[in-house]
Amino acid sequence: MFTNVEHAIQALESQKYICSPEIATTIFLAMKMEKPVLVEGPAGVGKTELGKCIASALNMDLIRLQCYEGLDEAKALYEWEYAKQLLYTQILKDKLSAILECEKSLADAVNRLSGEEDVFFSERFLVPRPILQAITNSRPTVLLIDEIDKSDSEFEAFLLEVLSDFQVSIPEIGTVKADRKPFVLLTSNNAREMSDALKRRCLHLYIDFPSRELEEKIVSLKVPECGADLARELVKAVHKIRELPMKKEPSISETLDWAKALSLLGCEVLKEDVAISTFNFLLKYEKDIELAKKNRKEIFVH
Amino acid sequence: MLRAHDTSTAAKNKFFEFAGILKDAGVTVSTVEVLDMFEALRHVSPYDKTVFRQTLATTLVKDYTDISVFNRCFEEFFEKKSSQKGFDYEIFIRDALNTSSLEKHPRMGDEAGKELFDAIDAIVDATLQEHPDKAPKDIIKLLLDEADGASGALGQLIFNTRSRSRDGSVGDDTAPSADDAESDFIAELVRERVRRRVFERTTGRNIQKRDEYLLNRYIYRLTQDEIKEMRELIKRFGQKLKNRISLRKKKVKRGGIDVKRTLRKNLQYGGTPFRIYYKDRKIDRPQLVVLCDISGSVSQYSRFMLLLTYTLQSLFSKVRSFAFISNMVEITHLFQEMDPERALNSIFEDTNFTYGWGSNYGHCFTQFIREYSDSLTSKTTVLVLGDGRNNNQDPGLESFIRIKERSRNLFWLNPDRRHLWAWSDSIAELYLPYCNEMKEVRNFLDLSEFIDKLFIGK
Repeated sequence: MFTNVEHAIQALESQKYICSPEIATTIFLAMKMEKPVLVEGPAGVGKTELGKCIASALNMDLIRLQCYEGLDEAKALYEWEYAKQLLYTQILKDKLSAILECEKSLADAVNRLSGEEDVFFSERFLVPRPILQAITNSRPTVLLIDEIDKSDSEFEAFLLEVLSDFQVSIPEIGTVKADRKPFVLLTSNNAREMSDALKRRCLHLYIDFPSRELEEKIVSLKVPECGADLARELVKAVHKIRELPMKKEPSISETLDWAKALSLLGCEVLKEDVAISTFNFLLKYEKDIELAKKNRKEIFVH
Repeated sequence: MLRAHDTSTAAKNKFFEFAGILKDAGVTVSTVEVLDMFEALRHVSPYDKTVFRQTLATTLVKDYTDISVFNRCFEEFFEKKSSQKGFDYEIFIRDALNTSSLEKHPRMGDEAGKELFDAIDAIVDATLQEHPDKAPKDIIKLLLDEADGASGALGQLIFNTRSRSRDGSVGDDTAPSADDAESDFIAELVRERVRRRVFERTTGRNIQKRDEYLLNRYIYRLTQDEIKEMRELIKRFGQKLKNRISLRKKKVKRGGIDVKRTLRKNLQYGGTPFRIYYKDRKIDRPQLVVLCDISGSVSQYSRFMLLLTYTLQSLFSKVRSFAFISNMVEITHLFQEMDPERALNSIFEDTNFTYGWGSNYGHCFTQFIREYSDSLTSKTTVLVLGDGRNNNQDPGLESFIRIKERSRNLFWLNPDRRHLWAWSDSIAELYLPYCNEMKEVRNFLDLSEFIDKLFIGK
């Protein structure tokens, strides 16, 4: 557990994750208040990375659930292992008939059999999926529910029980409650809006592209071979590019790729011609590259 | 961490006020969120502005499109009132505690005084709600008249407290002057409360009003600066509309049992259908063809229409857009290549819309049928945006009817008032019988309502 906002910033930095005081505040508060966090923001600003780094900074287990359309409780919570149940009944056929032999009527046999039901609907035949795993894990856990906006709204309704009470109801067994509440992080790319009920249960965090200072820090931390001068200049250029009406703005990971490429080419400062010939590390659309080239004067002001 | 005096009622009220302002500005803030805010404030140092601000934002604002509204409210509420240097929590709390000398008033010390204070608070709130349009001055006057005349809720209250205090001090000669002091105190209380409440109400509402004002304003009357302001608003508004529509669509998705898939998937259990699979009902996403007149009189409407259409693009299975004055040009590719804003600017730069002089609807419809009729299918909704001022040229009615016949729906949005549809060189009336609907649009809300309607009732 982070002791204060400062500590959160430092601990995450030790995992090579540079975060703004805003991010640290929300994360710190969420842990203190034992509330889930809903993280939104453009692609590539490090939403998923944040979850991973929190886990490693605090030596917690990370359990990740990737959402997609059609994701249901069987994939997210738990599933009965039907095949195993079938197999067991096949193998135990003789034993079963031995037990049932002494019963006289059919009704008695059915009663006897249903008395043994518990054997087949026990945790032995339960496959725990990420959410149940996170709840039953005895170690401190970060549960990362990635791209929640891709899931259906029914699934969202389902998460509510988990998010507010940290428990899962299994009709055949009962309610499984977390001994140790996992820290839940939900990420969303805004493909659709989350329901109000879900939002009420979470703290909200919007991560935007970082400020220049912060991004410089990220570059020098993640790509140490890139010199301070180069880092400063290339981040400046990236920020200029983000101001242009791009189809896809360069994200942090693309800035890092570019920094790696430029340092591999032995640049110590940002040279215009080298920069332009390596634009394809930064920009993923031909049109965007053209646009950036057209605006080279603005991008490379010294 | 908040210290003891920070959690006093006065300081707490400040935070309630802020939540109220957010609500007035159109942000959804529920009780749970306000409680969360107080809980969160216990854990952080309020002296660090960034942390303090983020604490409020992260607990109160759950919709990222509202963050800009939050920032405006925060600035208005916490920064404007503090010192010149921007936000300083120490000063803020001191202000909160000293907002009025009233809190230090000797009467506030005893139970009865506090009771009176709360009661007056409630009456002020009720009166403000009853007369939302009255100026603060008038409200104060109204309340003080009530107090003097012992009428209404306030008069009643004062009458009661007075008779109670008299009971306690029978035969006291100083009673009249005590009454005077009491009256002054009450008058002061009323003035203070009204002023504070009115400030709260207006801060949030001004922001909300500005948005509403822009959305409701006649589009052709928008000034250049207002248009700039509109862009951000349209983005926010469009995003909300999109979210709402997509939520609505998700709900009707599930269909009947998918027999083939169920059998196939259950083979692993020896054909016993342990798990049932459902057919996804096909989402009926409309195909849209937008024909926009971009001549001077309507171009601003067309801009907003196109901007909105492309913000919502993912909701349609296909959008093709055409612009015309007297020549019809397809502009779909522009929007595929760049963001809507930029595309709109480049329309005017590199394309030739003129063929002869002024708008020529007839020529354009005929040209559309000749060159682009492949865009029309039985699933297509055609949207025409224009005022139908044809400059006395051939209306091309035959082509228009063919467009109608070959599409599913044909709607016409007309920026002109209804009574002008057959006036002067406008021939909108002539096209009217062949449209599913011709609608008068004046402001941005009209446009968005129309788009919203495309998705309902099918």
